Amino acid sequence: MIEYLIDGPLWYFSLAVFVIGVLWQLGSIVFAGRKGDLSVARGNATSSGFKNIFSRFIPHREIAPQIGVQVVAGYLFHLGLFALLFFAAPHVLFLEENLLGFGWTPMPHWAFIMASQAAFLGLIILWVRRMTNPVSRLISTLDDHIVAILTFVVMLTGCLALLEGFNALRLLHRFTVELWLIYFPFSALMHTFTFIPSRAFTGAWFGRRGIDA
Amino acid sequence: MGEQMSERLEKGLAVLRAEMDYKVHSFFSSCVNCGVCAESCLFYTETNDPRYTPIYKTEPMRKLWKSEYSFWGRLASKLGMTKPLTEADLADWEELVYDGCSMCGRCSMVCPVGVDISMVIFKVKHALAVAGFSPEGLVETTQRAIDVGSPMGVTLKTVQAMIKHVEANTGLSVPMDVEGADYMALLSSNEIALYPEYLESLVKIFDHAGVSWTLSSQAFEATNSGLQIGNKKIAGQLVQRVVDGAEKLKVKTVISPECGHAYTALRWEGPNFIGKAYPFRVVHILELLDELRAQGRIKTTGMETDRLTFHDPCSIVRRGGVQAQPRNLLEPITENFVEMADHGSMNWCCGGGGGVSGNERAHDLKLTAFNKKKSQIEELKVDAVVTACSNCRMVMEDGLEANEMEIPLLGLTELIAEHLDEKRTS
Amino acid sequence: MRIKTLLILFCLVLPQISLADGPPKSLNSPEGVSAISPGSELWRAVRQRDGEVLEGVSQVKSVDSGMLINARGDQWARFRISKLTTYGGIAIAAVFVIVILLYVVRGKIPIEGGLSGRMVRRFTDYERIVHWTLAIVFLFLTITGLILLLGKPLLIPLFGKEVFSVFASASKEGHNLFGPLFLVSLIMIFLSFARRNIYEKGDLTWLLKGGGIIGDGHVSGGFFNMGEKTWYWMVILIGFAIAISGLILVSPVFGQGRWIMELSHVIHTIGALILITVSIGHMYLGSIGSEGAMEGMKSGYVDINWADAHHDRWGKKCHDENLIISAEEYARLQGRKPDDTAELATEQGK
Repeated sequence: MIEYLIDGPLWYFSLAVFVIGVLWQLGSIVFAGRKGDLSVARGNATSSGFKNIFSRFIPHREIAPQIGVQVVAGYLFHLGLFALLFFAAPHVLFLEENLLGFGWTPMPHWAFIMASQAAFLGLIILWVRRMTNPVSRLISTLDDHIVAILTFVVMLTGCLALLEGFNALRLLHRFTVELWLIYFPFSALMHTFTFIPSRAFTGAWFGRRGIDA
Repeated sequence: MGEQMSERLEKGLAVLRAEMDYKVHSFFSSCVNCGVCAESCLFYTETNDPRYTPIYKTEPMRKLWKSEYSFWGRLASKLGMTKPLTEADLADWEELVYDGCSMCGRCSMVCPVGVDISMVIFKVKHALAVAGFSPEGLVETTQRAIDVGSPMGVTLKTVQAMIKHVEANTGLSVPMDVEGADYMALLSSNEIALYPEYLESLVKIFDHAGVSWTLSSQAFEATNSGLQIGNKKIAGQLVQRVVDGAEKLKVKTVISPECGHAYTALRWEGPNFIGKAYPFRVVHILELLDELRAQGRIKTTGMETDRLTFHDPCSIVRRGGVQAQPRNLLEPITENFVEMADHGSMNWCCGGGGGVSGNERAHDLKLTAFNKKKSQIEELKVDAVVTACSNCRMVMEDGLEANEMEIPLLGLTELIAEHLDEKRTS
Repeated sequence: MRIKTLLILFCLVLPQISLADGPPKSLNSPEGVSAISPGSELWRAVRQRDGEVLEGVSQVKSVDSGMLINARGDQWARFRISKLTTYGGIAIAAVFVIVILLYVVRGKIPIEGGLSGRMVRRFTDYERIVHWTLAIVFLFLTITGLILLLGKPLLIPLFGKEVFSVFASASKEGHNLFGPLFLVSLIMIFLSFARRNIYEKGDLTWLLKGGGIIGDGHVSGGFFNMGEKTWYWMVILIGFAIAISGLILVSPVFGQGRWIMELSHVIHTIGALILITVSIGHMYLGSIGSEGAMEGMKSGYVDINWADAHHDRWGKKCHDENLIISAEEYARLQGRKPDDTAELATEQGK
């Protein structure tokens, strides 16, 4: 019964919530009415906006030394997580069989282990920093902690099921993934997508004033 | 505070709701509270007070966004589980937004998800201003700007007296209300009251370069207190005066003075404040000087031998895009020019922008924030600092004096005027 | 048909012939017929009971492939099942009991004169991040490790084998994955704290006074006292032993044989049990056991009275160098709203 729920209805429900929620949130940003800027532009807003989406992956030299922990841990976590998400062998197989109908070469087992270790280390450091740094503690909300812990649990259940020998562990992982998908569109997890319009807007703003942001 | 929502709160909420656009939605939904912006803010780095974290200064807006625009917030509000934004919240944020932020925009450069934090802070400031939570000093200057026409109470008579003085000093005449001139120059209050050298330099340079220009008796004041206090309506009224003056004299171009926020108000925000595009061009004085230099209309002679550096005014460089021009202008007249650490669009603010310098309550905090600039200047061991914003200049002069450092501040336009090649002057 | 019968007969006779070739001496011994089974000699040799190591030849080319049977394996397995598991479990339970008793008897060790509210900086952000990262990884490894060690006697009776197998598989995967993270955080801990943990003059008095647990009053200490330094070096030395033995266990591809694996396992388990038991004491003293101690790892600041009481030499240095900040300044640095702002807010709210 539980197996049926997790593999069937709950999976489709969470997927629907995720897709519709994300599209709705992005739609309300992208398709919202906007006032044009009446001042005369100096530079090209569009190209600067596009450029800024990528240029902000690298912190400014002037601030990098002060934010070293966040940058290093942030990259460890995000790169590790993306590698796991899209290149872990069970994930590739799952996507091929259930969603896409095609697959790609997954990463070898040792790469999987290293990616997950990087992701865990990064996430733990970022979360500990959130708890101990006075700035982060002041500005963090309940949602930030839920997101961190939920993501941790999803990654953890995935790794606990690494042997792929127990259905219970597979179901546990899938269940936490479903919770994560349902929570996604209404939380800080949305930054996965909204960082793109945010960077683009800000890059465009600076760009039309002739500034390289 | 009773059950009934006060009028002030309602006014503030109305502004916040009106300002809640697609950008704000994108910004708040992408912010992960990483705290990187704190390290970019000199009010945080110099005080170590987490409350000065830039994104925290937007809290009233975020709170409203959470409770009225986010899923969980709306659900929680429906169930009566959230604390709504209160008047006390607005009152609490007055100090953070007015005293603890110079609108320098450094945070907007470093945010990893690309939030233009200072833009959102300005929206909060707008709401606070309309709700009546602004420091007394700024309220008074803004009122004076509306009533008298200038925040420092400068009248046409004061300007006329200064013009007489300048004409006597230079032997040149200052054009006033010349219809059909190419350029209309503006002055900031500081430049009238504290630094008359600016007008004197303009007269000399324009004479040297043969520029057709004029002052307007109707619109000579460039300072925009509306922008400083954050009230877009008042800012629009003040911009409209300049537009009216320029239209009356049918000039092709209006010259923003060195003053940083005046440039922002005129060049970038002005048309949006008044809701229509200008029939003329707006240039910053440095842009114009660099154009004239490139055209060969300004010829300089002699070099400054002192060790000099340039302080980038935030509103002109990081938020204004005039970055190469000051360097182009300094290059031919300085022998010993050094760049400050973090110069250009990642410069550190003097600490007095965004109305902080006009806010007496913020005096001590401003001096603390100045420590950043102080250490930068000390590091370079320069003989003088050049800048191109009368407000930066005043704030840095105060700061250096308070720290008993005898380093002179120079205006870039004056420096050019001192090096004009007299042989070419007509 | 006749041939077939002959063949069977031949087969039956054959063993008798070969026996007749070399009959065991015992059969013809003067004491009479022995009861020892004919295979026992063979198996005695196979199991290397007499200490003689049998080295065979196999087509499989790998470490220990010539070993017919791992004679010591039995010893090792028995050691694990009867000694490690039993004594390990008892040790952990005992430390819990001691800590609870200590709390009941002594309660939270108060600071003389209470907390002053005036604070000194003790740990940087980075140092706290490193500490808590190690703590989280350590805790995770402890839980998964203990499930694997004590699962058989404790969890199987509770949940049954079926459920335990799931736990065991999950724990094994998790434990192996997090292991290397322990090494990484250990290196970070080493780099951050090693210098301040070098023993110095005066540390011995701390030891002689029993670290303050025995008797009244606190004992002398520098930035770290003798107890903390000893705990630190235990973490570093035993920690590295655990990490390296763990790596040997998790990656059997570097030519290590059974003997090295057994040794690594024993070092790994004993080391871990020592660190786990002592860490319970560390957690106790760092939190509910000692007033004002937790603050240092939470905010990075400690009360000056706490510093004077537990680390008097460091406390004196803080006094001398004027490093103490007021309660208001501390509140400000923690991002708490200053009181005057609150007053202002209520004033303006009216």
